[in-house]
Amino acid sequence: MALRETAWRVTARELESSLEEERGAGERAPTYLVSPFGARMSRVLVTGTLSPGEPIGRDEPTTFWRARLSDPTGAVAVTAGSFQPRAMAQLRSATASRPAIVVGRAHLYRGRDGVANVSVRAEGVRSVGETEERGVLADIVRHTLDRLDLLERLEKDPGVSEEALRAEGIPGSWIRAGREGLRRYPNVDRAAFRRELRSAVRRVAGDSGPQAPAPSPPSTVTRTRAPPARPASRPPTAAERAEESLFLDFVDEISEVSADGYADLKEVILRTTEQGLGSVRAEAALNRLEEEGVLEEPIVGKLRRT
Amino acid sequence: MVADDSPPVIPEVRLRDLRPGAGPVEVIGRIVSMERREVTRRSDGSRRPLVSGQLSDGTASVRFTWWDPPREGIERGTILRAAGVEVGEFRGRPELTFTWRTRIGPASPAELPKVDSEEMPMRTVSALHPSDEGFRLEVRVARITQRSVTVGEERRVVFDGLVGDRTGAIALSAWSDFALRAGETVRVAGGYVREFRGRPQLIVDERTTVARIAGGTLPEAAEILCAPSRSIADLEDAGGGEVVAIEGIVVGLLPPSGVVFRCPTCRRAVTSGICRVHGQVEGYADLRARIVLDDGTGSVTVSAGREATEVLWGVSLEQAKSRLREQPDPTLLEEELFETLLGRRLRVKGSATKDDFGVTVTPESIERGDVDLDAAADELGARLPSGG
Repeated sequence: MALRETAWRVTARELESSLEEERGAGERAPTYLVSPFGARMSRVLVTGTLSPGEPIGRDEPTTFWRARLSDPTGAVAVTAGSFQPRAMAQLRSATASRPAIVVGRAHLYRGRDGVANVSVRAEGVRSVGETEERGVLADIVRHTLDRLDLLERLEKDPGVSEEALRAEGIPGSWIRAGREGLRRYPNVDRAAFRRELRSAVRRVAGDSGPQAPAPSPPSTVTRTRAPPARPASRPPTAAERAEESLFLDFVDEISEVSADGYADLKEVILRTTEQGLGSVRAEAALNRLEEEGVLEEPIVGKLRRT
Repeated sequence: MVADDSPPVIPEVRLRDLRPGAGPVEVIGRIVSMERREVTRRSDGSRRPLVSGQLSDGTASVRFTWWDPPREGIERGTILRAAGVEVGEFRGRPELTFTWRTRIGPASPAELPKVDSEEMPMRTVSALHPSDEGFRLEVRVARITQRSVTVGEERRVVFDGLVGDRTGAIALSAWSDFALRAGETVRVAGGYVREFRGRPQLIVDERTTVARIAGGTLPEAAEILCAPSRSIADLEDAGGGEVVAIEGIVVGLLPPSGVVFRCPTCRRAVTSGICRVHGQVEGYADLRARIVLDDGTGSVTVSAGREATEVLWGVSLEQAKSRLREQPDPTLLEEELFETLLGRRLRVKGSATKDDFGVTVTPESIERGDVDLDAAADELGARLPSGG
């Protein structure tokens, strides 16, 4: 489909809870992040308090920035690289936390310890007033509740026809996302997730109390897939994780714009070197990522996600 | 004269009555659209010319293919009589083929079949499809405006409007002056439907009869023009609409947006000083914004013109031009425009068309969307489990 990907309205909590990816069919199709709560996202629209950005990598001029977006339900990383110059400038220029709206691509990165990390690669960032933030949050909560209602119907009545649901005005993309979510997360506590939306509604109502500190790992999701068994090795250090993440970000950026869909290894190394990540450490990061099955090199010198 | 030399009697048939597979027939009709092409023969690579298009006799319009046509004397509007025509079928509709055996000559309008409008079937707006003709329709004129166009060398006045019945609305283009006024109810007989920018459009011209009738059960003009807000997914499924209203949030801006340069003759955007039709021209500056509006169910492109862009951006064309003199890179202005618009909630009314790239809305009005936060919080709170 040449049609643009819809921007799903989601809370940070829903993004944190999303552990499954679905590779779209066909050449150059996007990868979708499937949530337990009825979203199947390539593009997302999120709002909350955006922290000042910090550069990834050590040397100036840095071409990759990261910030945290917190809403009343949780927090998610927002990144921007040189392919999104304006969004990067936004992350770079902010010196204090402020309310913001972010549109971007949802990305899932699963480290070697099996922990999933979702980030939003920003396509656009705008600092907004509180009223605008609350207005967008109202949209997000409404859509989230609509999707939860849909999931409950699909679960109670799995045979309900798509035509019948669409006749009620439910978009076909939501029905597909809901079915996919139910299939992939059979044991999710949606009632608990629904309760967690209460803090977001309070925020819509104007409760500007201190933003809850980002809750620790999502309690609403039971992971049903055991992480693959692997020889006991020392866990990666935080620095190694950051290097892997940086490496992957460049692979994604380069492959997104490359003609063949692969990221050229030389180009990735060139970019990581610019960031102060030497080629030896970059190769080491690549080895770890290949070992973990995150990246593959089907053609020598050409990388892609598995 | 020997009786055997006389040609076999071939019946002249109306286009409405054509049946695929029936033997050679004689038809008379007016060319309503045509294009010349050449096809390459697979056997020896030689080129063979052909004309294809639509032929109409007032009862129906049918696709035709004319192999090895004369170089001159065929154009839109030409009326012909053709004998020994093959009737084939394409996608379930009859299709005519003129071969070397077909005898084709000019004919006069008087020879076209007299179609009594009373025998045309009555149709509703929602049942109309491009290339339909030979029907009657009872509609109310919701709006009508006059504009002049250049057809070849000639200036003509065209009346554009919107008509509707209980089943829907369709754009109207009147090539004769029927003195139509907004609010009138009319019976149209002998018009035809064509596709214009991906949407069906009702054409009425000098061959069409338009009669005033009592309004009866037809909706009021205001009802036809009033569009309830709908989801973008719904709009995508419907393939657009004549009068639509949507609300969403700006998530993107497509190039070219910001300051663009237009051809002084045809208003097309000029790239590198070259107009696609008029070649090298001195383009004049204009403002536009191709806004990607998204409501969480889908997204559309809203094609905003100068005035709407000025209001949304807060920057006038003159200001943008003077900034372009200081900073000649137009993409910087485009990025600034995107950052101004990103995340804004807009309510857009207008007409919508759909193509391979999705739905495009030509706006009549763009307004800021406001949210009643207290009401939203109450409504959403009521949907959450209480206590706990």
